[in-house]
Amino acid sequence: MGFWQRARYIDRRIIFLLMLLGVGLPLLTNIGLPVRVTRDVGNVYDYIEGLNPGDVILISYDHDTGTLPEMIPMSDAILRHAFSRNLHLVGMALRAEGTAIGRQNFRRIGAEYGREEGKDFVFLGFRPEITAAILGLGTSIERVFPKDDRDIPISEIELMNTVRNYGDIALVISISDDDTPVYWVNYANARFKAKVVPAVTAVMATTFFPFIDSGQIRGMIAGLKGAAEYEKLIKIPGRAGRGMDAQSIAHMVMIGFIIMGNIAYFMSRKGK
Amino acid sequence: MDIGFIYDYLIASERLGIWIAALLTLAIYSFLYKDNPIYRFAESLLIGISVGFLLVTTFETTLMPKAFEPLAISFTGIFGSGGFGAFGSFLWLLVPVTLGLLMFTRFVPKYAWMSRVALALYIGFGAGASIPANMQSYILNQIDATIRPFLAIDSFAAAVNAAVILVGLISTLSYFYFSKAHTGIFGKAARLGTFYLMIFFGATFGYTVMARISLLIGRLTFLLRDWLGLIS
Repeated sequence: MGFWQRARYIDRRIIFLLMLLGVGLPLLTNIGLPVRVTRDVGNVYDYIEGLNPGDVILISYDHDTGTLPEMIPMSDAILRHAFSRNLHLVGMALRAEGTAIGRQNFRRIGAEYGREEGKDFVFLGFRPEITAAILGLGTSIERVFPKDDRDIPISEIELMNTVRNYGDIALVISISDDDTPVYWVNYANARFKAKVVPAVTAVMATTFFPFIDSGQIRGMIAGLKGAAEYEKLIKIPGRAGRGMDAQSIAHMVMIGFIIMGNIAYFMSRKGK
Repeated sequence: MDIGFIYDYLIASERLGIWIAALLTLAIYSFLYKDNPIYRFAESLLIGISVGFLLVTTFETTLMPKAFEPLAISFTGIFGSGGFGAFGSFLWLLVPVTLGLLMFTRFVPKYAWMSRVALALYIGFGAGASIPANMQSYILNQIDATIRPFLAIDSFAAAVNAAVILVGLISTLSYFYFSKAHTGIFGKAARLGTFYLMIFFGATFGYTVMARISLLIGRLTFLLRDWLGLIS
């Protein structure tokens, strides 16, 4: 059996090992490959940059823990940008696990910037039944969330005295690992004209491209790459930027395997 | 209690948490070598914790404050000073809670038909809310986004872009039109649609690879930084 013939039947564990090295070594060495900012991420940054201090952004944590490596860098970058611009943040979750993550992120990044819970930001908690929750927020946030995550009535929270529905919210960001932002587009945007931005896993990116061209979303942050671009825009290096070295090398390894697999296939056909 | 002891305890519990997370990560990745009981244990643990967390969170943050607590308050109000107002509030809450509970009749075959009442209302609400919204988002706005660029062509590139999208839309729709044989010009259009679909699948596959590698990066970063302390 020739080299190409053997290459067709390579043990998959060798591929896993090479992929592990392709991801692990760049993490240890920190190469610093350049990251180019795309139009979609730039649009989100520009929109937030154009908001006035005191404007409100609603961030919904619509994801589970399995996709944290993509979600956390995005969330961190957006929160840092918003807090640095003195914007007010309202957090919530349409996934149970997102509640714990969102709550933790709001308090962690809020503390970095010395922001006060209840005055500069508030985390409302979790609601199941996506459609009813998103539609309800368009009428009255207080009806959907009578109390915040700390069990304090909304009427007693300073920030929420001026935030009643989408009309008082400058931007809705759904940090999601599935198609939940489609619900935000369908109900919050189409019905209440809320401005929506999906911050999604790379897997979901192609679902939202049509909404960019139609103007139904203001831009999009997709995957670790999108988070790295956002980190570059706000000039605060984070874990996404460092991960992009590993991402690029791993892609090269994969492209190498695809080329090798195709050559092996055609060479073995030629030999028959 | 000694503050130093509490601090040591917190540090130790954090280290313990990191060790548990690291070992569970390795347990999951052991599947790449071959299926084994340690992997299956870690997988079952993950599913159990996720479902448990969902149940507890839903009960604590939704069922209790939005249903059971107000129901109990209005019920006690009927016998207190609440009077007719409290009775009205009680009924207002009792109807949706009863409908929700009817869903559980599915577990008893004899009374399973009762769940259809709640399901009918739920489906009715879902269809009523989603059909106009989907029509607006997926059809009207997308048609608008396909046609509008032709009204504002300011460069050759913009014209090409608009044409590529329009041709893609028509040819891909042709492929999914099954009431006419895919022959002649119509067949060629449908064939062109398959190329557009291939490009879409390719882009989706590329993004999927990126997402999966991101997850590996996340776990490796955790292992190398938090567990082994090899990176800062």
